[in-house]
Amino acid sequence: MARLRALVSRLRAFARRDREEAALTRELAAHLQLIEDDLIRRGQTREDAARAARVAIGGVDQVREAHRDARSIGWLEDLRVDVVYGVRSFSKSRGLTLAAVATLALGIGATSAIFSVVYTVLLKPLPYAHDANSLVRLVAIMPSTNPAGGPPRRLDLGFSADEARTLRASARSLTGVSTVASSLLTLRGVDAAGHVTIGIVSPEVLGLLGARPALGRLLSSDPDQGAHEILLSHAGWLRYFGADPAVVGRTVTLDTVLGRRVGRDLAVVGVMPPAFTFPRVETSGWTLPLPPTGATTGVFRGRLLARLAPGVSLEAARAELTPIVRDLRQHGPEVTYELVREQDELVGPVRPAMLVVGATVAVLLLIACLNVTNLLLARALSRARELAVRAALGASRSRLARQALTDGALLGLVGGAGGLAVAAAALALFRILATALPRLDLTSSGPGWGGASFPRLEEIALDGTVLTFMATLAIGAGLVVGLASAIRASRTDPFGAMRATGTAARGGAGASSARRLLVVAQVASAMTLLVGALLLSRSLQHLLSTDTGYQTDGVTTFQVALPAATYPDARLLTFADILISRLRSLPGVQSAAYANQVPMVQLRDTAGGLWTTPDPTRKPQPDGGDARYVSRDYLPTLGIRVIAGRDFDERDGPGQPRVLLVNQALARRQFPDRDPLGVQVFLGRDTEPWTIVGVVADVRQFGLDAAPEPQFFIDGRQWSRGMPIFPAGPYFVMKATRPTASLVADLRALVQDLDPEAALFNVMPMATIVASSVARPRLYASLVGAFAVVGAVLAAIGLYGVLAFLVQERTPEIGVRMALGASRADVVRMVARQGGGLVGAGLLLGVVGAVVLARAAAGLLYGIRPLDPATYVIAVVAFAAVAAVAIVVPARRASRVDPLTSLRCE
Amino acid sequence: MSGGDRIALLQGTLDLIVLRALDTMGPLHAYALAARLAQVADAQLTLNQGTLYPALVRLEQKGWIAGRWGTTEHGREARYYALTAAGRRALKGETARWRRLAGLVERLLGDEA
Repeated sequence: MARLRALVSRLRAFARRDREEAALTRELAAHLQLIEDDLIRRGQTREDAARAARVAIGGVDQVREAHRDARSIGWLEDLRVDVVYGVRSFSKSRGLTLAAVATLALGIGATSAIFSVVYTVLLKPLPYAHDANSLVRLVAIMPSTNPAGGPPRRLDLGFSADEARTLRASARSLTGVSTVASSLLTLRGVDAAGHVTIGIVSPEVLGLLGARPALGRLLSSDPDQGAHEILLSHAGWLRYFGADPAVVGRTVTLDTVLGRRVGRDLAVVGVMPPAFTFPRVETSGWTLPLPPTGATTGVFRGRLLARLAPGVSLEAARAELTPIVRDLRQHGPEVTYELVREQDELVGPVRPAMLVVGATVAVLLLIACLNVTNLLLARALSRARELAVRAALGASRSRLARQALTDGALLGLVGGAGGLAVAAAALALFRILATALPRLDLTSSGPGWGGASFPRLEEIALDGTVLTFMATLAIGAGLVVGLASAIRASRTDPFGAMRATGTAARGGAGASSARRLLVVAQVASAMTLLVGALLLSRSLQHLLSTDTGYQTDGVTTFQVALPAATYPDARLLTFADILISRLRSLPGVQSAAYANQVPMVQLRDTAGGLWTTPDPTRKPQPDGGDARYVSRDYLPTLGIRVIAGRDFDERDGPGQPRVLLVNQALARRQFPDRDPLGVQVFLGRDTEPWTIVGVVADVRQFGLDAAPEPQFFIDGRQWSRGMPIFPAGPYFVMKATRPTASLVADLRALVQDLDPEAALFNVMPMATIVASSVARPRLYASLVGAFAVVGAVLAAIGLYGVLAFLVQERTPEIGVRMALGASRADVVRMVARQGGGLVGAGLLLGVVGAVVLARAAAGLLYGIRPLDPATYVIAVVAFAAVAAVAIVVPARRASRVDPLTSLRCE
Repeated sequence: MSGGDRIALLQGTLDLIVLRALDTMGPLHAYALAARLAQVADAQLTLNQGTLYPALVRLEQKGWIAGRWGTTEHGREARYYALTAAGRRALKGETARWRRLAGLVERLLGDEA
């Protein structure tokens, strides 16, 4: 108790030190007076008494110091003095301080911004559930059947409510087994009609995620009732109901439910709080799937989500589940199923890139720290004499070292504060780069189909964790940059420094070699970054220059939302046919077509696979080729070449002989040793034959870096297979001499004219779709590129600083050399040799670092090897060019040394 | 300061000595306190009068003594320190503790001899 009280008193004493000091002064004066009085009474003179009083009390300053130590917290007092001293000395050298603070702000800011991204994406628990780490997903994994090889593919094969029920009953290691799907649907009867993203879930999922409504209640768990209810997300409530507080009980109409075109009236039962954004940010609401009504309708399937039972490991759950799922899916496609953590699955695609970007920003911070260390060391050297004076006046070595560390920490803190601004700006830029896709939808009629192209983007922010990280980083970086000067200061020799002049006074050879080492480390780090950035940007160039197999110039794509209840497939096709014929008559439009999807859209439809023999009981094949339902001019509109045979033409259409086209990849795989033209094939369980009439050139369908997959093209009007062929509505493509933006108004008028209920959306240039497919590689290349440029500049500044210092240090020596007959060129050579040596050593080390980084980043590279020699050569040359500038300036200054002046200085 | 063993002796004990002096003499200012100590120690203990100040501030912060400005018999101002109730309790406890410690050390030294 007394100890706590004493601590509080000490803190108070620290806070009120001025008053405490004044009180002590008064008390000491009184004390001295009393001694004096006594001594005078005993017959001493006033002067003798005053001196004796001071001796008796033991030195006023010493008492003051001891009193301060006893009453307050010693190191806190020292720190205060150090801080005051540091601030004063920094404000005297503004240029150096500004450079150091700016460098640290850049390093700390960039690192914190990237940390907030990496932390949110890779480490932070999912926002919509407590204990999100136990959430698991069942995914199907299919070995690559691509002739070109490649990693196994993950499929989101859905599970039906029945299958989920079986799992719920038999799997003891899982709880809350649920199905989840996300679908783009048309919502009517709301303020802003249009396409909305709706989560089609099983009722268990809300319990699984611990969902609590902000308004109303959750969905009914009764399948029939729940399928006629809708639970709104906060975003959906804002957007479609204007945050109407009386929304519960209102009715809306949902048009398309995963291919089932039925107008379904839904009663709003509740609204969720803003944080619940599941399974996607843009989800506007949730409903249950319609229970199957008969054998003819398809069964709703969704991704399987569950929670590991308490105490069950992922491995144990996998072991239990494997036989159960094999049993369950014995009639399904031939794939294997694996249980994975939801969080891993969500962030898996960006994890390697995030680690590489994280590593590069750490290297950038390292360069920044080295730079500031170097600055501070230079400052310490030029202040060696000042330090020596302090040492001579009684400052202990540890005290001087502490001062240097305090200086560093001060810089770190101020730099960290500046870093906050840098981080905020960097994050804003990151968000723009990462959401490139949805921003480019010209109609902006609600969320685009691309959604956020980066997982959990909306959660990335400068929150408490990031700020804590930043503060730690700022102080840590500050101490690190102060360390070298601290060591330097602790070696202060008061006599040597006071006596010496010139070189010796500035710290001598030891310190110079420390600074050279720092520069070598900087050059090496910058070189590493440069190679990394070059590899990524060259990889991006390779991606962008990939021959896609289709034209994007002048091509515009868009979609039309139609009321599903009144548009079954047949009528939808008729509407699409009329629309494209009207489109062709628009001024500037050369051709128009539609398809179930355009390149880069990640929808897959295999149509049951393409076979050479009929089999009505055949199992669906997940890799049976990619089916395209296209209109006649689709291939020429996109400039896709027909290599052999013919394209669709006026002979084809409803009621005509069934014909299809295959791509080269399919021809290679299924007809390796014969001409596919004229061959009769069968689709899925369908027993009516189709004739192959043409072979189409391969195109990059699912990504610029994804090798072409087997594809076949059919006329949608020639086949009704019981399942909708346009689950997401048709994609329209048109080639025009006018830019996309100028077409929007015409398109909207045309669509409205055909059906007032139809809504135009997702109007986008094809080039944008392609460009956005490389949004992530572009993001990574931009980030690492920016880091590399900043790193190279910082390293060059560091190099310049050290060389300039060396020249200044050796001015007398240079003077002597020149007096003895050395030419200006000799002097330039001498400085350049020194600089060149540092750069050479740094580059060599940098290549080693780059190889390590490049190996780690190998998975991100396309069309370029991690050890691509040309890249390394370019990086070396580029850095050497920058370094040359940093060398030439001080070298020329050295050559202008006037022998006489320099010798006189000495 | 020199003489490490003397400092070691004073540490901890000075607080106790001050408490004891204030207990027997009533409120004292630092100079009087120093004079009292010199008198009791009978020149066995040489003490810078300034050394009292850290002890005084320590005791004051613990709440064992309280300082108040007053006037000496010669009309000079001085800060008088008086034992508080907590200080009186602490003195009892500290004295007992010191005795135990001294007894223990004494016994140990006796054994050694």
